Amino acid sequence: MTENGSNLVLDGNAAAGLLQEIFVLDITTAQIQCEACGCTVAVGALRLYAAPMGAVLRCTYCDGIVMRAVHTPHGRWLEMTGARHLRFSRL
Amino acid sequence: MIETGAVPVRRLEWQRAEVREIVVETSRVKSLLLGVTSWKGHLPGQHVDIRLTAEDGFQAQRSYSIASPPEDELLTLTVERVDNGEVSPYLVGDLRAGDQFELRGPIGGYFVWTAAVRGPLWLIAGGSGIAPLMAMLRHRARWKVRAPALLLYSSRSLEDVIYRKELDAMARRDPDLRIVNTLTRKQPVGWMGHRRRIDKALLAEACFPPEQNPKIFVCGSTSLVEDTSRLLVELGHDPLTIKTERFGPSGG
Repeated sequence: MTENGSNLVLDGNAAAGLLQEIFVLDITTAQIQCEACGCTVAVGALRLYAAPMGAVLRCTYCDGIVMRAVHTPHGRWLEMTGARHLRFSRL
Repeated sequence: MIETGAVPVRRLEWQRAEVREIVVETSRVKSLLLGVTSWKGHLPGQHVDIRLTAEDGFQAQRSYSIASPPEDELLTLTVERVDNGEVSPYLVGDLRAGDQFELRGPIGGYFVWTAAVRGPLWLIAGGSGIAPLMAMLRHRARWKVRAPALLLYSSRSLEDVIYRKELDAMARRDPDLRIVNTLTRKQPVGWMGHRRRIDKALLAEACFPPEQNPKIFVCGSTSLVEDTSRLLVELGHDPLTIKTERFGPSGG
């Protein structure tokens, strides 16, 4: 599935391992709203651009960047300026 | 019955997996049957991350879909050898029963189907993209689910059809399961089935119509997934009912 060493286009689902290091609830089923176009999809349905250091997650519809997750020796970075909100449905 | 939804996930910890058995699936593909001591179960469609550490400390990490159903004691990963890959040549070529490596999971509740989900199940696979869909089909068989299911499976040749005997046996036993194979590069003499890549006509022929609200799972190469999901939307399926999982261009 994921070949982490190169730049690949995958599904948000494939970034789950990296993101799940940060979130307590299942991140792939969480709904995220894109700041650029306003549409809402499950994080698992975003487009993932896998890079050696981490992941760039883009909107399924407008291709805007909604999440960037990077794993560095100094810590984990999660940048979400491209998202309006992240909703975890009721347990 | 297993339910899906926003469940709290356990903190992802690396665990040791031990290879108990290796099954040769095709000339390029093997299944690794793993014992994971503290495995707490998974849902059909989920994946794991595996991590290999070389003697010099260099680590390589990859994700692999789980091919076994939650009901099985051993965890099955089906791995295709990627020439020049860092991880898969080792997994397919060098691993032996008794060897160990690190694994964490299960991961992802999005690309998941369980017997609790209502409605027809429509699975579309290319090559080793069959793996997570096989977990769903095996789970479905254990629960004797009667809702109709359809697998549309694209392979290069008959020899490249992963799980061929098991899929044939499953379809013979289960009148509610239909399996449609297409062989894109090489067909055996007398092959009566499809012989082209998945296209709109094939999807329109081997399908559940949108009115039946099928749950659709597509897994394969990026091009297969993108072409298929675009065509499904053109055929009138709601994009939200289509769940996709792309492999890298080099596969698993």
